[in-house]
Amino acid sequence: MTVTFKALSALLSYPGAELQGAVGEILDAIRAENLVAAESRAALERFAREIEAADLYDLQERYVDLFDKTRRLSLHLFEHVHGESRDRGQAMVDLARLYEAGGLELDASELPDYLPLFLEYLSTRPLAEARGVLADALHIVTALEERLAARGSSYAAVFAAIRSAAGGRAAVPVPEGSTEPAENDLAALDAAWEETAVTFGPGDSFDGCSVDRLKIRMRAGRRDVRRAEA
Amino acid sequence: MSQFLDRLTFFRKNVETFSDGHGVVTREDRSWEDGYRKRWQHDKIVRSTHGVNCTGSCSWKIYVKGGIVTWETQQTDYPRTRPDLPNHEPRGCSRGASYSWYLYSGARVKYPMVRGRLLKLWRAARKTLSPVAAWASIVEDEASRKSYTSIRGHGGFVRVTWDEVTELIAAANAYTIRRHGPDRVIGFSPIPAMSMVSYAAGSRYLSLIGGVCMSFYDWYCDLPPASPQTWGEQTDVPESADWYNAGFIIVWGSNVPQTRTPDAHFYTEVRYKGTKSAVVSPDYAEATKFADIWLNPKQGTDAALALAMGHVILKEYYLQRTVPYFADYARRYTDMPFLVRLTARDGRYVPERLLRASELPGALGETNNPEWKTVAIDEISGELVAPLGSVGYRWGESAHWNLEEKDGRGRDIRLKLTLAGDGAEIAPVDFPYFGGRASEHFVATEHGEILGRNVPVRTIAVADGTAIKVATVHDLMMASYGIDRGFGGGNVAASYDDDVPFTPAWAERITGVKREAIITVAREFATNAEKTNGRSMIIIGAGMNHWYHMDMGYRGVINLLVFCGAVGQSGGGWSHYVGQEKLRPQTGWTPLAFALDWARPPRHQNSTSFFYAHTDQWRYETLTANEVLSPTAPEGDWQASFIDYNVRAERMGWLPSAPQMKQNSLDLAARASAAGMEAKDYVARGLKSGELELSCHDPDDPANWPRNMFVWRSNLLGSSGKGHEYFLKHLLGTKHGVMGKDLGAEGRVRNREVAWHDEAPEGKLDLLVTLDFRMSTTCVYSDVVLPTATWYEKNDLNTSDMHPFIHPLSAAVDPVWEARSDWEIYKGIAKAFSAVAPEVLGVEKDVVLTPIQHDTPGEMAQTFDVADWKRGEVEPIPGRTMPAVSVVTRDYPNTYARFTALGPLMSEIGNGGKGIAWKTQREVEALGALNGVHHDGAAKGLPKIDTDIDATEVILMLAPETNGEVAVRAWEALSKATGRHHAHLAIPKEDEKIRFRDIQAQPRKIISSPTWSGIESEKVCYNAGYTNVHELIPWRTLTGRQQLYQDHLWMRAFGEGFVTWKPPVDLKTIAAVKDKKPNGNREIVLNFITPHQKWGIHSTYTDNLLMLTLNRGGPVVWISETDAKAAGIVDNDWVEVFNSNGALTARAVVSQRVKPGMMLMYHAQEKIVNTPGSEMTGNRGGIHNSVTRTVLKPTHMIGGYAQQSYGFNYYGTVGSNRDEFIVVRKMANVDWLEAPLAAAE
Repeated sequence: MTVTFKALSALLSYPGAELQGAVGEILDAIRAENLVAAESRAALERFAREIEAADLYDLQERYVDLFDKTRRLSLHLFEHVHGESRDRGQAMVDLARLYEAGGLELDASELPDYLPLFLEYLSTRPLAEARGVLADALHIVTALEERLAARGSSYAAVFAAIRSAAGGRAAVPVPEGSTEPAENDLAALDAAWEETAVTFGPGDSFDGCSVDRLKIRMRAGRRDVRRAEA
Repeated sequence: MSQFLDRLTFFRKNVETFSDGHGVVTREDRSWEDGYRKRWQHDKIVRSTHGVNCTGSCSWKIYVKGGIVTWETQQTDYPRTRPDLPNHEPRGCSRGASYSWYLYSGARVKYPMVRGRLLKLWRAARKTLSPVAAWASIVEDEASRKSYTSIRGHGGFVRVTWDEVTELIAAANAYTIRRHGPDRVIGFSPIPAMSMVSYAAGSRYLSLIGGVCMSFYDWYCDLPPASPQTWGEQTDVPESADWYNAGFIIVWGSNVPQTRTPDAHFYTEVRYKGTKSAVVSPDYAEATKFADIWLNPKQGTDAALALAMGHVILKEYYLQRTVPYFADYARRYTDMPFLVRLTARDGRYVPERLLRASELPGALGETNNPEWKTVAIDEISGELVAPLGSVGYRWGESAHWNLEEKDGRGRDIRLKLTLAGDGAEIAPVDFPYFGGRASEHFVATEHGEILGRNVPVRTIAVADGTAIKVATVHDLMMASYGIDRGFGGGNVAASYDDDVPFTPAWAERITGVKREAIITVAREFATNAEKTNGRSMIIIGAGMNHWYHMDMGYRGVINLLVFCGAVGQSGGGWSHYVGQEKLRPQTGWTPLAFALDWARPPRHQNSTSFFYAHTDQWRYETLTANEVLSPTAPEGDWQASFIDYNVRAERMGWLPSAPQMKQNSLDLAARASAAGMEAKDYVARGLKSGELELSCHDPDDPANWPRNMFVWRSNLLGSSGKGHEYFLKHLLGTKHGVMGKDLGAEGRVRNREVAWHDEAPEGKLDLLVTLDFRMSTTCVYSDVVLPTATWYEKNDLNTSDMHPFIHPLSAAVDPVWEARSDWEIYKGIAKAFSAVAPEVLGVEKDVVLTPIQHDTPGEMAQTFDVADWKRGEVEPIPGRTMPAVSVVTRDYPNTYARFTALGPLMSEIGNGGKGIAWKTQREVEALGALNGVHHDGAAKGLPKIDTDIDATEVILMLAPETNGEVAVRAWEALSKATGRHHAHLAIPKEDEKIRFRDIQAQPRKIISSPTWSGIESEKVCYNAGYTNVHELIPWRTLTGRQQLYQDHLWMRAFGEGFVTWKPPVDLKTIAAVKDKKPNGNREIVLNFITPHQKWGIHSTYTDNLLMLTLNRGGPVVWISETDAKAAGIVDNDWVEVFNSNGALTARAVVSQRVKPGMMLMYHAQEKIVNTPGSEMTGNRGGIHNSVTRTVLKPTHMIGGYAQQSYGFNYYGTVGSNRDEFIVVRKMANVDWLEAPLAAAE
């Protein structure tokens, strides 16, 4: 059990009076486990104390504005990976199976890819395994941290702490520098939305360098070999 | 094992074969197949559809895996059609195909939410106070009320539990009912056909507590008032499969492939069969690609085009030769043979109202309603006769309301169309002409305001001994179209090249369409109808209907169809597909939806008049009655403002009112009995004396404000709200972009019936509650947002006018997060309300006002003249000269018990619709057996309506369309009025009873019912007017025929007795803003046109990234290359569009497709995605309705007069918006307004 992940999960959940009351306990646990590096921990502590002291309505309004209403800051991981593609359904199914394999059943009316829920799952796993799984999502955590920091939101501290606790490199590399255009930079926005040329062929899952695509190409290659043999 | 190592390099495998050597067994690695397996693996498939405001009603397979919706595909199991008719499937489009995304989208509303400031106040008050007292403490303190109303639209939501939020809502409702009256609780939800149970959930709750259900079809300007005017029918149209039966199709102001995507294949297929098609569209819309001939009139001039085609048809097919089919059709199925009185005026004549039997000596032997029996001349006897079928035969007698060629005395008759010939008298008759009144943006012609034409007439003696002149509608119609029949006189054309209204040459000037094209299309349309007995069809849409004078365009088109005998014939007729979404099992649904099983009548309100008054758009009215009044208007006081007209209509019982009276309707019954009077007499006396007041006289008095509002299944503020900025300013009281000054500030207050307050109210609503699954613009502005189930998470019913099947919505998965179905949400509110109500409410008597209703004997209320009790012209008599007054008992503490049970009135009174009534005791018993009955409480012994599926079964069991036994009973009930046998249409299906699980298995075709004018048959497709023509059931109009002449006083006053040309009105919104706040870029003025789009269904899907990616990723407006050049705009520039109503921001699409002089902005692109701030207002750029304001039209207010009597969503004012002009300019500074709202606010 890695209590740090559980603590970070709590800090990223919808704030309530219970959370405000538990800030001391949370910080103690994080300190005790010492998975979060000192510089990240300082910011996290400031954030947690802010939660503890602020008006609950203000906290809740802020949370809703940031995470319920802003797609770019969605706490649902696959929003950032699959968006509205069909792959998202399968990805959620796979993730739910992972939890089941860990002996956990979803008890809340939440989706499997909700980050606080995912962190809670990690908290129940051995640290090494948890870090391995988290590595797959670390690029999203990093992106969210950058976006929150750009907005000047103290929530960025939680994401920095997650990154620190993950203690390793992201499985999907985080690109150098920010690829995201500033929201007022129209030329950059246009460039980001520039459409790729249309190619006719099979759908998404078989495009690019996906595993499925590679398998198809290997099979095609084998077919050629057989034809040559004939 | 790696696949590389799996492959043998040095050996061949042993080859095993099977199937006689046709197959070879291999042992290679097959794990690659998992890619495919996984892709299509699923646990179950559920049938559902997309309950968006769309006529698609497409069958979809929803795939579920591990409790998660993974994708959807089109179903292909619709019942087959008959041979030689293409099948319906596949139905669906790119929008529906992207729907599964909505379930898990970041834009989904996940939890019940309340504005934080309100919740803080509520919790503080609830610590010490009971619920209703707590609510009172908040809204009675102006500062605390304003603290949350003034920040609407600026974020600040917090999550809340269902229990807490339903108590808050219930307390607000109970407080409002006690303090102000139940009619201050308002609910808006549109188009029930798309998810009937969801609609019914809210309307049932509102109806039980005495709240008000708001109309939508008229407000959306999708109601074509020409339909009730002509046919006495809201809208009834052919199904799309019937396009395949047409021989000639005109698509007019409709964009079939783009907006009727799943139906467009019938249009494609029929062209392969050889059918010719003309498309009328000012821009090169997608539908124009289907055209054999494309007519591109200037936008807004369609009526002129239709009139010119009518001119050609009347001349060539009625005058130059007689087409037997057309003449016979005109004689039997139209008002053309009927006689119109002519009033003398300065030695000339003006058409007056239709002659009635009561005016003739001995009333032609008619004793029952002779003043409602219209008169024609019988060719056989040469006498004046009162033919069967007029509205006077419908009520108070039986077996005479039919279209047999007989008169009231049973004689065979053959009506005369024309009085011409045999030395007929010729008289000069004046017709109004409005074509000279066009604004600078349209062509004004110099033909004078009054066009006199010679018409054959007859002088007849009337009962009072005097002589009057009469003419047939047919002869007046020929004159009105300017056809030269050789009677001499002016204003008629011998040649199509004469510039005389309404020749093709005249129309060419106005529309820009070459006269040869007009003549060609008219001839081919009529010739096809002549050869095929009416298989000529006109598909028509919003492009025509959204103009202020839409009636002229529509009636011009309807005339073409009627002249050619196309209405009611397979493959012919009027195919209006705008927001129609026919609720097929209507009479099964109305008891559930409006709680008619517990109390009658419900409160209904026409939204256009309501929003005009309560968003204070009337305070900014720029159009005067004078500008649209006829030069031939009869004497009268016509110089009133439109809100005055509306108030007159309300108090005369024509239109509904909400809120109804300044006094609380719960107090009136008690006051009446204290005075020893019946409520209706008490109200009539009180209104006359001034002791009681109708709210409509002072909509800005806080005593008359609407207080609580529910919005569900709707994006009222982000899509349909004409005058969006006025909503924000006056109804909500938040930041807004209104730039014009009101009439007070301008010193132009003209209204006389309505009180003027110098200070306009801002923030009338105490509470705005919205139910939605996505964070729409309306949600953003609400105080409470409730997360509702999506179309894959609930059980419901869906029907369309485009195909004859009834289709389910099914819960493929449970609602995610905290979402609940609309049924469960309102059930929960009802439960909370029942708990909270006893604090202030018990069993109460509620005095309800209702306007005079169509399809009831009341529709004969106001016979000849318009008389206003308020001016002492007549006594106020409820239900005759003023609204009807009823007393309804409300058992507030038992609201929940009533909500969940089918009430006793279904057994005691029965069911019915459209003037037909039948008993339904057997169905109530069957529902008790099917759903179970309540064993105790206030609903003991009554059938349960607990779940959404129970609710669907109520609809299906009670409706003739889904229960054959009821259908037979309904047809037999109609037979009593018509004296003809109709049950044969349903007897073959008498034993058929469609249940919810049946339609989940496969969409089911409905059963023929007298609610509709077409039939479901294996031989013909559904076509409107079919039973009128083939079963001789009258249209529900004054004459019982298709009513081409509108004889009501107000119709004549505004010059719409006959269809004519009225240019778009000038709304004068430019001068106040153009070049007033320059940004350095050139400003140009364009007409603002808002058609339906390809990337969304109204606003739904417009926040979907898939759809956004297919378009430009945010709001866009389309302009022509010419206009773009003039304004220095290039494609993809950010532009601002504004007028005195407000401003919007969008990117420009510069396209050759668009006609110069107009701007297209696709309807309902929301301001929640990619919308920067406006340089004009400093607020975020608005929606398309930020630059519109609704304008009322008095002719839409008429009531108490046969087909022009009120019906919910049937008649009333409509929210037109296409006459609007805007200024457009390139933006200099694009500001995304990312800074937080100033703390002080």
